[in-house]
Amino acid sequence: MSIHPPQGHRLLAVMRQEIRLMLAERGLWVVGALFLLLVAYALGNGLIQTAKRERAQAAVAQADRDTRAGQRVQLEAILAGTAQPTPFENPADPSRMASGYGGQHALLPTAPLGPVALGQSDLFPSQYKVTNQSRVVFMNPSDIENPWHLLSGHFDLAFVIVYLLPLLIFALSYNLLSAERENGTLRLLLSQPLRLRTLLAGKLTVRAAVLLGPAVLLPVAVLWIARHVGFAGVSSAMGSATLWWALLVGAYALFWFALVVAVNAFGASSATNAMVLVIAWVMLVLVAPVLLNLAVTRAAPAPSRTELATRQRVVTAEAMKRYQDLLGTEYQHVGHGAILVPRNGKIEIAGRALANYKIEREVDDAIRPALDRFDAQQARQQQLLGRFGAVSPAAVAYEGMTALAGNGVRRHARFEAQTVAHHEAWKTFFFPRIDARDAFTPSEFDRIPTFAWQEEPAGLMRGQAALAVLQLLVPSLLLFGLAALRLRRFSVA
Amino acid sequence: MLLNWIARREFLERLRDGRLYWAGGLVVMLLFTALAVGWAHQQGAHAEQVAAQAMDYRDWLHQDKRHPHDAAHQGMHAFKPEPPLSMVDSGINPFIGSTVWLQAHRQSEVKFNAAQDATGLQRFGNLSVGWILQVLGPLLVIVLGFNAFAGEREQGILRQTLSLGVAPLRLLAGKALALSASLAVLLVPAAIVAAIAVAVGAEQGERIDALLRLAAWSLGYAVYLGIFVFLVLGVSAMSATSRTAITVLLALWIGQAVMAPRVLSELSRTWFPSPTRLEFNQQLGAELKAVSNKVWQENFGTTERWGRDVPLSKWGIALRLDDQASYPVYDRHYGRLWDTWEQQQTVQEWSGLVLPILAIRSFSMGMAGTDFSHHRRFTTAAELHRRNIQDLMSKDLVVHADPLGDRHFSYEATPDLWATVPPFDYHSPGVGWALWHQARSLAVLCVGLLLAAAFAAFATLRQRAL
Repeated sequence: MSIHPPQGHRLLAVMRQEIRLMLAERGLWVVGALFLLLVAYALGNGLIQTAKRERAQAAVAQADRDTRAGQRVQLEAILAGTAQPTPFENPADPSRMASGYGGQHALLPTAPLGPVALGQSDLFPSQYKVTNQSRVVFMNPSDIENPWHLLSGHFDLAFVIVYLLPLLIFALSYNLLSAERENGTLRLLLSQPLRLRTLLAGKLTVRAAVLLGPAVLLPVAVLWIARHVGFAGVSSAMGSATLWWALLVGAYALFWFALVVAVNAFGASSATNAMVLVIAWVMLVLVAPVLLNLAVTRAAPAPSRTELATRQRVVTAEAMKRYQDLLGTEYQHVGHGAILVPRNGKIEIAGRALANYKIEREVDDAIRPALDRFDAQQARQQQLLGRFGAVSPAAVAYEGMTALAGNGVRRHARFEAQTVAHHEAWKTFFFPRIDARDAFTPSEFDRIPTFAWQEEPAGLMRGQAALAVLQLLVPSLLLFGLAALRLRRFSVA
Repeated sequence: MLLNWIARREFLERLRDGRLYWAGGLVVMLLFTALAVGWAHQQGAHAEQVAAQAMDYRDWLHQDKRHPHDAAHQGMHAFKPEPPLSMVDSGINPFIGSTVWLQAHRQSEVKFNAAQDATGLQRFGNLSVGWILQVLGPLLVIVLGFNAFAGEREQGILRQTLSLGVAPLRLLAGKALALSASLAVLLVPAAIVAAIAVAVGAEQGERIDALLRLAAWSLGYAVYLGIFVFLVLGVSAMSATSRTAITVLLALWIGQAVMAPRVLSELSRTWFPSPTRLEFNQQLGAELKAVSNKVWQENFGTTERWGRDVPLSKWGIALRLDDQASYPVYDRHYGRLWDTWEQQQTVQEWSGLVLPILAIRSFSMGMAGTDFSHHRRFTTAAELHRRNIQDLMSKDLVVHADPLGDRHFSYEATPDLWATVPPFDYHSPGVGWALWHQARSLAVLCVGLLLAAAFAAFATLRQRAL
């Protein structure tokens, strides 16, 4: 021990020296510029996509508000006797207000970190038009997107970090020790009062700073500025999500640095190191997630959608048959428009319209067990992923980042659950009124259930993020441990 | 003779240094896994769709007496048949759904995509033979061939060989032959197994077509990998050291296999923007309403629905008029949307000139019958079937218009009417149709091959300066 004096200022010296060396080389400039460019493009793209989505959502919400206001005005006019309702556009009729005519959208707002990982946001609907129809009818993909794009995925920051950051780490450090040895400088360096691990720590710190700077600080700064200039697509209160996101990126980068150190510690040539690292990247980033996805979908296969379609048709046919007589009833308003106007707080609902309401109600009840099976299956897949995801750090990082950005499967499942609850409230509100033939009044407009999104509890988000960070730290530490073991016997010659 | 000699020597070297065993073995193992998974999925999905379609029609025929419009409301389902080649490339199928509900009044969109039921990991890609060949295939070529010239230059062999008077182009041809043979050793057995799987998996009538499609599909990949054979040899010839060669090649590979699909996807969407759902629905709805009003005004002299002027006994005629007027509106709006998507895809196919993965992706899906043009054809057929059902039901309502004035909905048609609707019997188009629709991507791939070969020749001819 005595041959190694305190290493603190030597570490600084190594770092200073490394910075000097790297600045003098072209590599750092090329890698740094490339990375900045990729981060900027990905972030810009994320901001644009998110802003577009927010604009679309705002337009939907505005259209909903306009429709509702128009219906209220019309109802007041009908009650005042200045307007005549039509059978299909009658705000006084609760069965119409409960249907697509009065239905409104449940919207999933963008989370504060939304732009950094677009995740499943293009695949999973962020809006459902809730009506008294069965949810098998309205809870379907509602956004228009070219399937080719869905297949390709987005170029977002999560993509740059998960796929490209490891490669840039390799580019800067695949020959961390091997180059020094091949040049003969390692022997020289270690003849100084300098420990091998101090040298390594210094080299790693400098490289981590170069890459993590743009990966963590730039997005945070851009999001912060975007928020303050009022750019749509960034909501307020970025909260601790940003911190966890930074930790996650850091832990992911640490894993790849650990791999680089471990590979270098085996003392092979620079060319071999590069080859081993690229193979590891192909296996861990490209192949493992694909195989993991396959394993999870095999272990917890989705129930058949074809079967669901058939089931939907069968229960619809059964319900239609049960109410066939009612369906055969005439619309009696023809020739007697007054029948559509409420009288003494009551309203006549045409037999056929009533039959349609009852059919939808039955279909919804009958199809529920089938839909619940889909939810249960998805929960099970997600659970499996949580358990076995650690086989690919890329999968852990990607899932973790999309979850923090609020574009993951979990938050969407929550949105679906809240939409289902809202649908129940909608039915509870309208069904008794329809059954009692209570005419809808302007004052009741304010009491119509509205969808209010309840954000995920911060604790849940933190817990999941902490788990992901842990799943990345454990293999990193194991790799560092392996490296430490090998480095004891590291030959400098 | 000399060519064979060069090729044999190169091939043996690749066997001896173990690269062919390790890298190739891994890819082949993945290929067989993907094929097994694809086979199981294709067989399951196909059987299920055939059964569901048959049951759907049987239930349609066995409806009791009921009002034709109610029958039309309940409608039918059209299930998209899973093509035999989806076992090698599932294309856009997981993202677009496979069931259309053919019901009254509205053109339905295809529902129930498998991607809805998967985890977020599917964005890393679905394991399929196509994915492996597209993404890992070029990497395999790089690993096998990056030091073909550069390695020999480092060892000084290249100078010796050239000094013996071996023509550089002949050297290139020999190396290309060896590299292609290495790939063939790995991939041809997989292709034979795939051909057997497709032949067994396809139904009697479509077997020849499926095999022809597989042949064209394989040819496409041969051209695609051929591009990389020449590219790798060219870069290797240009590079002073193997290290430079592998660095440049890996960078090119990452650019084209990992980044290009996403970047081009985003760019093509910027150039040809798709509407949002709200915009699409609002425009469609407004035009449908305008057209319907026009038709009512022309035929009934009013736009008021079901008043004194137009009693419910005219429901059948009105329905028919509305439906007929709506068809061109749907055709226009959906046509415009789908044209936009095709334009976006065209951008990506053209970029295949520099990024071959985009061209082969399109060609591969097209041959497998899992691309958008096949999907569009199916959706159009399903919509025509829906219109046929609607027209037949409305015609019956016109014939049986209620003479009493208030008994319109109590009319019940007999099962004879249901039997007038034919079953929805959709067959995928033939290989000629698919090739015609993929002519662009195939041409792009072939031009890419020529460019790559020219580049390799140019790079090799410069060797003389050594």
